[in-house]
Amino acid sequence: LRPKKSKMVNEDNKTSGVVEKTEWKGKWKATWEGQSEFVFQALVLALICILAFTIRLFSVLRFESVIHEFDPWFNFRTTKYLVKEGFYAFHNWFDPVTWYPLGRNIGGTTYPGLMWTAAILHRVANSFNLPIDIRNVCVLLAPFMSALTSLVTYLLTKESWNSHAGIVAAFFAAVVPGYISRSVAGSYDNEAVAIFALICTFYLWVKSVKTGSLFWSGLCALSYFYMVASWGGYIFIINLIPVHVVALLISGRYSHRLYVAYTTMYTIGTLLSMQIQFVQFIPVSSPEHMAALGVFGLLQIWNGVVIVRSLLSPRHQKNFFRVVILGAFAAFMGLLALAYFDFIPSLTGRLLTLLGFKEDITIVKSVSEHQPTSWGTFFFDMHLLTFLIPAGIILCFQRLTDENLFIILYVLFSSYFSGIMIRLVLVISPVACVLGGIVVSELLSTSFDVLTRKSKTVSGVKKKGSSVSQKGGALITVVIMCIAAYFYQIHCTWVTSVAYSSPSIVLAAQQNDGSRVIFDDFREAYSWLSHNTEPDAKVMSWWDYGYQITGMGNRTVLVDNNTRNNTHIATVGMMMASTEADAYPIMQALHVDYVLVVFGGMIGYSSDDINKFLWMVRIGGGVYPRIVESDYFSRGGAYAMDASASSTMRNCIMYKMCYYRFDETMTQYGQPMGFDRVRGVEIGEKKIKLTHLEEAYTTEHWMVRIYRVKRPEELSRF
Amino acid sequence: MGSFVKLIGLALVINACLGATDVINKDIVIKKFERKIDLTSQLVKIVNKITIENTGSSPVKNFLFLATAEEHKSLSYIGAQVGSYSLTVAEINIANHPGYFFYKVDLRDVLQAGNTAAVVEIEVVLSDALRPYPASIQQGEKQLVVYEGSHLVMSAYPVASQTSTVTLPSPNIETYSRLKPVSLADTTITYGPYENTPAFSVDPLKVHYESGGPFMTITSLERVLEVSHWGNIAVEETIDLLHTGAKLKGPFSRYDYQRDHNSHTTVKSFRSVLPASARDVYYRDEIGNISTSNLRVREDSVELDLRPRFPLFGGWKTHYKVGYNVPSYEYLYNSGEKYALKMRFLDHLYDEMAVDKMMLKIILPEGVKDVELSTPFPVQREPDTLMATYLDTVGRVVVSMRASRLTSNHIQDFTLTYTYTSLLMLQEPLLVVAAFLLLFIVVMVWVRLDLTLSPDRAAEAKMRVSSHCSLVSSHHHKRTNLYHSMLDEIVKQQGLGNPPHALAQFQTNIKKLQQSIRDESQAIADLLSKIRGDNSEMAERVIELQKYDKDVRDAVTHQCNNMEKLLSKKMAKQAYADADVQLTKKREDAMDKVRSIVAHL
Repeated sequence: LRPKKSKMVNEDNKTSGVVEKTEWKGKWKATWEGQSEFVFQALVLALICILAFTIRLFSVLRFESVIHEFDPWFNFRTTKYLVKEGFYAFHNWFDPVTWYPLGRNIGGTTYPGLMWTAAILHRVANSFNLPIDIRNVCVLLAPFMSALTSLVTYLLTKESWNSHAGIVAAFFAAVVPGYISRSVAGSYDNEAVAIFALICTFYLWVKSVKTGSLFWSGLCALSYFYMVASWGGYIFIINLIPVHVVALLISGRYSHRLYVAYTTMYTIGTLLSMQIQFVQFIPVSSPEHMAALGVFGLLQIWNGVVIVRSLLSPRHQKNFFRVVILGAFAAFMGLLALAYFDFIPSLTGRLLTLLGFKEDITIVKSVSEHQPTSWGTFFFDMHLLTFLIPAGIILCFQRLTDENLFIILYVLFSSYFSGIMIRLVLVISPVACVLGGIVVSELLSTSFDVLTRKSKTVSGVKKKGSSVSQKGGALITVVIMCIAAYFYQIHCTWVTSVAYSSPSIVLAAQQNDGSRVIFDDFREAYSWLSHNTEPDAKVMSWWDYGYQITGMGNRTVLVDNNTRNNTHIATVGMMMASTEADAYPIMQALHVDYVLVVFGGMIGYSSDDINKFLWMVRIGGGVYPRIVESDYFSRGGAYAMDASASSTMRNCIMYKMCYYRFDETMTQYGQPMGFDRVRGVEIGEKKIKLTHLEEAYTTEHWMVRIYRVKRPEELSRF
Repeated sequence: MGSFVKLIGLALVINACLGATDVINKDIVIKKFERKIDLTSQLVKIVNKITIENTGSSPVKNFLFLATAEEHKSLSYIGAQVGSYSLTVAEINIANHPGYFFYKVDLRDVLQAGNTAAVVEIEVVLSDALRPYPASIQQGEKQLVVYEGSHLVMSAYPVASQTSTVTLPSPNIETYSRLKPVSLADTTITYGPYENTPAFSVDPLKVHYESGGPFMTITSLERVLEVSHWGNIAVEETIDLLHTGAKLKGPFSRYDYQRDHNSHTTVKSFRSVLPASARDVYYRDEIGNISTSNLRVREDSVELDLRPRFPLFGGWKTHYKVGYNVPSYEYLYNSGEKYALKMRFLDHLYDEMAVDKMMLKIILPEGVKDVELSTPFPVQREPDTLMATYLDTVGRVVVSMRASRLTSNHIQDFTLTYTYTSLLMLQEPLLVVAAFLLLFIVVMVWVRLDLTLSPDRAAEAKMRVSSHCSLVSSHHHKRTNLYHSMLDEIVKQQGLGNPPHALAQFQTNIKKLQQSIRDESQAIADLLSKIRGDNSEMAERVIELQKYDKDVRDAVTHQCNNMEKLLSKKMAKQAYADADVQLTKKREDAMDKVRSIVAHL
């Protein structure tokens, strides 16, 4: 696959270079203008779309067409339900198999845009007698949407710069790892469609500000609706657009076009967004949306002022201004007062975390993708673009337009958020592509201009051609750009192949002889659950595996990846951290039939439950003071599993379930029996006895261990 | 309508029953009855070798074979043969013998009075006839099963001499019932010979022994064959598998399982034999590929070593799909438009297999007619349905049928005949071609279609003007180049230092160039008149252009004249130089203006 791909990329580079060249070769100019250039660009864009689609297929080729990771399994399950039961049933769906015994109102607690998209594509394909399996639709949806994202990136860049920059930006966007990380085949998650919706909304916004047309602002509102339906990140849009409006007002760029665009977009968009069950009245009640409402009001006042001013004589104008300024001041003070007396709800905790003001929500912190981003990650996820962003900002300032201003604001805000959470690098990647496209296309076109300028006398005057040093400089620039683009592509392909294409439900490792060994333990366990336990069995596990157990194992779980009820999660954490005798009554009360733990000590799989256990203790301890974190550390204060492990640790069911009968096995040559290959220690507690639990199933590589909770009548025998 | 069909069906059943009712022929005596009961696998295979004698006076065409109610319940196959010649066996009703089921076996040759027939071999296969006892065991325990039958053979006729042998998988026998004479040797128990037993005599037999199995039953099997006339038949089998041995009691221990390498009762993996031409084999379930299988290509078959995701213990079940493609030329025969599909009704899934319920679906190409089915054993035919897949319009005919209680004895061919016009094969490619053609035509029409209510004269004029303007500028460029050529001529003369005939040469060159300039200017003037009609503003610009161009021309002409004068020595060198400086300045000014105009054309 690889040589083919790089060949295609070279083609892309070449062709985009040709676009520039043609522009600057006078004799071609007439031929390439108009329709031919359009056809040519369409061809290049089609190639870019194919590239965007194919680069995301590594995991399908290397493994199979399968849904990845955790959240996608929930989305997949709900999509299957939507396809099977229909639209209304989906939106009224109360799902009893998750969050037992609470259940979950799926229709009211999900962003349905992703499921709609997949279901509609599936329906359309089937109505044309193309019986594509819903699983394949879901697996391939993200690459498909990525191709569309490249197209809208082209449009956005074209709208804010020119079409040549658009082509380059589309190429960047097709392969930028920051976006690929969330959109490889099988990664069936909200972000897959949301980034498309985000860029589409921004494109339509820029277009409507530029034209001031109701039509485009209406489309912008529709696109915003799709975004709201798809992802919680819509908050970014509804705050960024008002900021853009304010920036335009401040910089004296107010126009009726802006008024029409914003008022239309805001009113229709807000009304539409309130149709989503999960959102409902949030747009008019929560403080996150207040900026948009405030700007809406501000625009009305501003427009009123403009009208009144045009009717007043200069003498009255002065008085009028005083009134307006006083009024504005009074309103501001009033708002402050209201805020002081708590009439205005404060920002929610998650948003504060997002803004970087609050860092004490344990459950948010426990997720690795919520950690702050390191500098290396930016380079890893954007490569060349990281360096092009500042240059792009400078270029935008040099030729400042309403549209460029938006791009500048977008990159400023998204760079702030992406610094706070790793997962938000996703948001900055598209705008990095836009700016990168602008910079590269400007550099290339200037260089080609220099290179092709001939020494000739036009209209009698000797027009000086470029000097040799100028030409040399231009040539070097072109060569550097080509090399940079080449390495960008190599880097993106490598990152995609190495870092982002693992389904994480199937693991693969190389053996000494180079052959591949597959660890399919997760599916083994879930398949066992679905075939060999009672259909109404309740499975307790840490929340990470909730979506997979319901999705693949088809069994009821206590907690899952929709971490909406901290107490419930804390209860599970507390049980895992308790002794058998303490946990048993709670398990009985919650009707737990099976307990599932993930254990990597046998083969060295490091993201197992023992390594996550401290978070369980912390979250459990946050609600149940009985659980104290320090009890789980060894005397020396270390998190230890060996002989120095504390007795609380040795007696908690997590420890017991992971290491039950582990001391009898030989995991590594030259190490003692019961050697934990992740922690690198011989376990401390041997001959573990279980009284309330019994081993029900353990997978081939011991990665998933399932225990059955004995019924009370079974216990009385002892 | 439905009830009418039911009525007819009922009538047929009654008719069949009545027609088949028979009586026991008192003339027949069984001379020798040898029975071999094979208990080595999960299936009970009984081979009966029967020698009958006609003691009456009339010839005998057929005789009866008996099964008890239990046997009948678990009977999955019965077949009779003499040597290698198969005899027909049909179930019939006999009055006054409740608890027994009768099978009529038609003899190959009519048995004349007083004669003894050749040995008839009747093979009976029972599934589910073995019962694990104890019904549930712990991991690592031995699995014991019980077989219950009769010491004496089932017969509707008196038996002169009979022996039964029971073959067991291992010598580990808990208990076995005895009816003398009986002997046990290693894994074989021999009962008899018993002499002169009357008809319908029974004596209960019970063997309790260890059996590793494997005890696996396919609780439901769906086999789908999709026939394509492009040369491929796709086979897909969806299987629900249940371990029917003694159930697992208590915990499962992976450690013990990994350590214990000879736990025969667990099913780790099994072997499935596919046709030799099978390609693109896949093995998966509802959550994706099952990554633990091996494919071995043998000379006459493809062996698939299937390992379920998890080992199967007693009472555990699993579910999977196996699919592959085979070339159609091996199974599809035709004469003209008549086609016959001859394929296995059931294929090998694992050794000693037992299938409870099976559904066979055959998806035929679009447009087949006159479908006729013939099966090697009776099946329940379901109504045909239609299914639409890629590029289908009316849908494909799906022939489906059900059967139950199948074993490897049922791996036999069915034949399905239908008529199909080969031309229909072109339907789908043509459909694609037509769709694309339509798309192109629509695009072609669309781009040529002018849907505006009033023609947009302004836009048309604009386009006309812009094309004229580009022509103007190209003519202008040529003209400018000509000026430059003239100037070059002057410069050349300056450098040459006035050789002889220079003047004449110079004059002819300049004249030629001036003529070309005039032509270009004339062309621009022509274009100007055209532009004037559409856009007066542009026309103004062109007029301006011409005006400044005139200045340029005057200046250049003047310079040329000066040069001529210089060459003909009518002018002093100093005067020429002064004039040249002035004229150059004038020309440059005019040219600057011209340039700015051209830039805005």
